[in-house]
Amino acid sequence: MHLPDVTIHHPASLAEASATLRRLGPRARALAGGTDLVVDLKTRRVDADHLVSLARVPHLRGVERAPLGAPANGDLAGALRIGALTTIAQLDRSPELRGSLSALREATRDMAATQVRHTATVGGNIAGAVPCADLPPVLLVLGAWVEIASDSGTRTLPLVSFFTGPRQTLLAPGELLTAILVPPPPTRTGAAYARFSLREGNAIAVASVAAAVTVDDAGRIARASLALGAVAPVPRLVELPPGPERSDDDAIADAARRAVAASDPINDIRGSAEYRRELVRVLAGRAMRSALERAREARP
Amino acid sequence: MTIACTLTVNDEPRPVAIEPGDTLLDVLRDRLRLTGAKKGCDVGDCGACTVLLDGEPVNACLLLAATLEGRRITTIEGLARGGTLTGLQRAFVEEGAIQCGYCTPGMVLSAAALLARHPEATREQVKDALAGNLCRCTGYTAILRAVERCANARPDGTCARRSAEDGRPTPCQCPPRGDAPARPGLASVGHSVPRVDAADKVTGRALYTADLSLPDMVHAKVVLSPIAHGRIRRIDASRARALPGVLDVITGADVTENTYGVSPARYDEELLARAKVRHVGDPVAAVAAIDEKTAERAAALVEVEYEELPAVLDALEAVKPGAPLVHDRYERNVNTHVAHDFGDVDAAFAASHAVREEVFTGNFVYQCPMEPQAAIAHWDHDGTLVLHSATQAPHYVQYMMAHVFHVPLGKVRVIRPHVGGGFGVKAATNPLEVCAALLARRLGRPVRIVFSREDMFHYYRGRHKQHMRFKLGLDRGGRITAFSSEIHLDGGAYSSFGVATAYYAGSMIPTLYKIPNYRYNGYRVMTHKPACGAMRGHGVPQPRFAFECLLNMMADDLGIDPIEIRRRNAMTPHTRTVNDLDIGSCEFLATLDAVERDSAWREKYGRLPKGRGIGVASGGFVSGAGYCIYRGQVQMTHEKGPEKFQKKSIFPHANAVIRVTEDGMAAILMIGAAEIGQGSDTILSQIAAEAMGIPHTRLRMKSQDSDIAPLDLGSYSSRVTLMAGNAVAAAGAAVADKIRPYAAAMLGCAPPAVRFAHGRAFVEGGPPEGVAWEEAARRYFNEHGPLVGTGCYKPPEGLGGDFKGATVGTSPAYSFGTAACEVAVDLDTGKVRVQRFTDYHDCGTPINPQQVHGQVEGAIVMSASETILEDVQFDDKGRVLNPNLHGYLIMTIKDAPEIFSGIVESYEPRGPFGAKEIGEGATLPVLGAVAHAIANATGVWIKDLPITPEKILAALHGSPPAAPRHRSPTCLPTASKG
Repeated sequence: MHLPDVTIHHPASLAEASATLRRLGPRARALAGGTDLVVDLKTRRVDADHLVSLARVPHLRGVERAPLGAPANGDLAGALRIGALTTIAQLDRSPELRGSLSALREATRDMAATQVRHTATVGGNIAGAVPCADLPPVLLVLGAWVEIASDSGTRTLPLVSFFTGPRQTLLAPGELLTAILVPPPPTRTGAAYARFSLREGNAIAVASVAAAVTVDDAGRIARASLALGAVAPVPRLVELPPGPERSDDDAIADAARRAVAASDPINDIRGSAEYRRELVRVLAGRAMRSALERAREARP
Repeated sequence: MTIACTLTVNDEPRPVAIEPGDTLLDVLRDRLRLTGAKKGCDVGDCGACTVLLDGEPVNACLLLAATLEGRRITTIEGLARGGTLTGLQRAFVEEGAIQCGYCTPGMVLSAAALLARHPEATREQVKDALAGNLCRCTGYTAILRAVERCANARPDGTCARRSAEDGRPTPCQCPPRGDAPARPGLASVGHSVPRVDAADKVTGRALYTADLSLPDMVHAKVVLSPIAHGRIRRIDASRARALPGVLDVITGADVTENTYGVSPARYDEELLARAKVRHVGDPVAAVAAIDEKTAERAAALVEVEYEELPAVLDALEAVKPGAPLVHDRYERNVNTHVAHDFGDVDAAFAASHAVREEVFTGNFVYQCPMEPQAAIAHWDHDGTLVLHSATQAPHYVQYMMAHVFHVPLGKVRVIRPHVGGGFGVKAATNPLEVCAALLARRLGRPVRIVFSREDMFHYYRGRHKQHMRFKLGLDRGGRITAFSSEIHLDGGAYSSFGVATAYYAGSMIPTLYKIPNYRYNGYRVMTHKPACGAMRGHGVPQPRFAFECLLNMMADDLGIDPIEIRRRNAMTPHTRTVNDLDIGSCEFLATLDAVERDSAWREKYGRLPKGRGIGVASGGFVSGAGYCIYRGQVQMTHEKGPEKFQKKSIFPHANAVIRVTEDGMAAILMIGAAEIGQGSDTILSQIAAEAMGIPHTRLRMKSQDSDIAPLDLGSYSSRVTLMAGNAVAAAGAAVADKIRPYAAAMLGCAPPAVRFAHGRAFVEGGPPEGVAWEEAARRYFNEHGPLVGTGCYKPPEGLGGDFKGATVGTSPAYSFGTAACEVAVDLDTGKVRVQRFTDYHDCGTPINPQQVHGQVEGAIVMSASETILEDVQFDDKGRVLNPNLHGYLIMTIKDAPEIFSGIVESYEPRGPFGAKEIGEGATLPVLGAVAHAIANATGVWIKDLPITPEKILAALHGSPPAAPRHRSPTCLPTASKG
C-alpha cells in the first residue's frame, strides 16, 4: 500500500504551520506522529495532497508543570502542560504523572503497542477524535483543557467541549491543538481507568471508563465523575450529582447505572451494543471503586 | 516529485532520492535494499517492520522517510557488526526462538531496545515490550526464554534472578522442557541442535520472495471483485493503461478457458474471471507497471461493470432448494458428499447406556502467516518458466503451472526462497503465481506480485466453518458404543482442498478412540465467500473440538473422570480402526498418564474456585498422507489418459540426493522438501548426517530450487519428517555404503564391520580414534568421481479400505497427544485468560526435541487463539469485515499461556530413526481443552467457536447471545493513537 502523491511542508514555527494549513485548506493535513494519518492515507480513508509536518515547530513537546503565576484562566493555575507532540511513551515515563494523575498511565500503558507509543502523540490521540481513544476519558475526569493556537492567537477551552463527533472537533481551519492542560486535582482525589479489549496486547478498547472521585475529610464522596470511551460518538463525561449519604456499594451501583444510561454504543465486529452497555456497567463500577479507594488513600 | 534526503542508517549517512509520501519501510527495502525489515501488514499492526529510531522501536511502515533527516535509524542489519551475533541474537538462535524468521528482525530489535533501557527486565516488561510484534510460529514461548536469558545473564554465567529458596545466584538456564532421553549411540538425531537457517534469519540476511529483485523486474497487482456474485458485463482498462508507467493489463478475455485448482476432479478456478465473479476478492484482472505504487493505482483505475446476482452466504441456506448456485455443476451447492457408515450405528445407540446429541459450530480461522504470499515469474529463452514463490508445496505449483500453461513439468522451475510460515494457506497454486507467469510471458520481463494483508483475507483458503451435529453413545462403563456425525462444511466459492477437508473431518475421528460403530455424513457446501482450504490440522480441529467436548460432557453425565474415560477408550498400538486405518505405534495412554500427573489434574479438576478452570482433550494426526493429491505419474495433465486408481504410490513421494564435496569435508543435501519455518532443513540435515556418520554441521541444504532438488510433494499433511526423512536417511546410507570399502581398507577389516560416527570410521578392536571419514570419501572420488547417494520414499502399498474416500486419512503412522489447559475467566465481562498448558505428545522418537517443542508451543498458541479470538467476519454482502490484523486478532505474547511441552517415549518403525509427525497433531487437543477449561470455570458450555467473552456472558446470564444483528461494515482503525 502506498500514500497518494503528497507534498510535505516543514514549517519552523507555529504561525507558519497555521498559515500553511489555512492556505492549503481541506486538501492539507497536519502530520504529528502519523500512526493514524499514514494508515488513513494508505487505505484512502483520508485523501490529502499536502502534509504539514509539525516536527520542527518548537515548544510542542514535553510534560511540565505550568508556573503558578497568574494565568489568564484561574482554573489552570499550576496546571500540568502536556505538549501536543509529546509521544505516548514520553507521557508514560513522565515523573509528573503522580497522585491522581497517574491514572493517565493506566491509559498509556495499554494503548496500542510499544512501537506505536513511541511514535503516536498525545495531541493526535485527542485531535484525532476517534471514539475509542484512551486518553480522552481520563483527561475528561481530570478536568483537562485544550490549548488551541493559530497564527491569530491562542485559546483554551475545556476538553469536554472539544469533541463534536466521531473524528470531528472544534478545530477551525488553520488551528492546531498545541497542548493539554490538566489542572491540579483537589486534595483527596483518586482517579482510575478501566478498559476492556478483546486481546491482552495491542488491541483497541471495546469499552472504557475513567473515574475521578474526591472525598471529604471523613472519606465521604464529595465529588465524582466518570467518562466513557468507545461507547458513544464522542468520549462522554458523566458528572455524578452529589447523592444522599449511602454505602459505597450503592454509590458505585448508581454511578454504573448512570454510565450505562449515558452510553450510546454501536454494534460492530468487536461486540454488540448490548454487550458494550454491560461492559460499561462493569467497568464503571471497577473504575469508580478503585478511584474511591485511591482518594481515601491519597494524602491531603 | 522526487526529493533528495539523507538518512542516517546504522550509523552511516545514506543519501537517497525519495518521494515525499514514501514510508521509511519502502525506502529501506526498495531504495537501500535493506530487506531485514519485513512488510507484514503495512499498517502498524504486526511489528515485522520494527526498526529503532534514536534507539526506540517504531514501525517503519508508519513513518514518512522525508521527516526523518537527522534521526538515527537502526535496522537488523546494523545489529551484528562484523558478522558477530550479539548475545541477544545468539540467545534467539540457541533457544529455538526462530522458526519462519519473518517476525525475527522486528522481534530482536524490540527486545534489544528493551534490554538497552532495562538490562534486567522482568517478564512483564519483556511481554509488554514485545506485544507489538506478532509471531504465528513459536507461540512466543522460546522468544520469551531467549530474551529472559539475556535479561538475567550475568557475565559470570549466573542468573540475575536469584533462587527463590535461598536467594543465592543460580546458574543461568531456562526451565526444562519434557524430553524423553535421546537414544544412545546417535550423534545428530535426537539432539536439539540449532536451526541451520537461524543465523541468517536473526541477522536479516535470509531472503524471502518479496525481498528479491531481479534485473528489469516489473511489479503487478491483481484486481479483485468488490461483489460476491455477479456477471461481468464490461471491463474498461483504458484509464489504467493510460496511467504513465503502466505496462500491461490483462483480463478474463486474455486468458485461456483452462481452469485449475487442487483436486483433479474439481479444477474450478479460472485464471481470471471470464464471465462471473463468485466472491468478494475473486480475481478479475491483473496490472503490470514499473513499480508497485503505479500498479496499485492502475488496479484501482480498471473499471468493471457487473450485473449483480443474488448471493448465498450461509452453508445451511445454500443447500436449500432454490438457493442461487455458485457453480452450475454442484447441485444444491454440494461439491462433496461423504457417506460413511461402519458397523450398525442405530442398533448400537439403541443398546447404549447413555446417548447424547449436541450441535457445534466452527469459525472461519485464517492461517495468518506473517509473510504475505508473493511470486516472481520470468520465462527463460528456452521457454522455461522460472517461478519464485512463497509456497509450501513447490511440486504441486510446478504441476499446476504445467497444466495451466500446457508445458512439460521439466519446463517449469520453481524456486522457493525462505518462506515466512504457511500453515496451509501456501499449499495451493494461487492467483499471484498464475498472473505473474501470464504477465511475464507477455512482457518478456520478470514480474513480481505480492499480496497485501487485505488481499490475503480475500484470497483466504483458511479453515472451513463446520456446522456439526454429533451424537455419541456410551455403555455403563463409559466405553464408546457408537458415534454418528453430520457436518456441513462452508467451503466458499471454490473447491481448493475442500474434497479432502470433507473426508478428513470424518475419517480422523476413529483414530484416537476405539469406536466400533461409526457413521459420518459430510456435505462440503459452496457459498459466495472466499474459498476455504487446508489449514493446520486439515479439517479435523473443529470436529475434534466437538467430539472432545461431547466426550467431556458425557464423562460428567456419567460421573467418570474425563482422563479416565479417555483411558477406557484409548487407541492401542497395531490396531485397525473401524474405517480401515492402520494404527502402528501408539503411546496415547502414556500421554494421558503424563498430563494427568504434570498438570496436577486430580488436585485441580472440580476443585478450583469459580472463575478458574482446567480442561483436557486429546488429538492426533497423520504422519503424511498415504496418497498423492493427483493420480498417475509425474506428467502433464493433458497427456494423461483417465487414471484408474491403484492402491499404491505410483512414484516416490520424497526423493533425496546427497553429493559429498571432493575433499570429503562437506555434503550437499538436495531435496525438494519445503522449509517454511517448521524446521525441515534442520532435521533433514540431522538425519542425513546421522545416516552418513558425519557431524550435521558438514551438511548444506539445497532445498529451494526444483532444478537442483529432486521432487518432494511438499509441506502439508505433516509428511516431511517421516517421508522426506526416510528418503534422506536412505541417501545418507547409500553414501556410507559407497565409502565403506575404502574405510575398511584403511582399517584393515571387512566392509560390513565398519561403523561411521562423528566424521570418523571405526571398527571394533581397531584404533579407538578410527580413521577420517573424509579420507575414505576422497579415495572413493579418486577412483569413481562424484560421491553421490540417492534415496527415495514411497508410502506402503495397500493403505486404506476399499470404500469411496478410503484413501483420506491413510498414513504410514499416526501421532497422539493430550493437553490440559487452565484458564481464568472474568465472570463479569466473560473475558478468558488462557493461563497454562500441559501437553504430552507421542511424536515417535524426536529428531530434534527443541524443534518438536517449538511446534507444540506454536500449535498451542495458534489453536488457543482460534478457540477464543479468531473469526473472519462477513457482512450481508459477503464483504470481509476484518481483513487486517487489528480487526482479526491473533494472540500476542501477552495473551500466550505458559506452556509445558513433553514428549513421551515412543518408536515408530516406519519413521526415520523412529520419528513421526508433530506439526499438526499438536493443534488438535487444544481447542477442546480450552473449551472444557472454560466450561469448568464458568459452568456453561459454549459450543460455538470462537468462545468470545460476549458468548460466555450471555450464557452466564442465561440468555442466548444477541440475535443476529447488523454489524457495522466499517472497521475502526488501529487506534486510539495519534
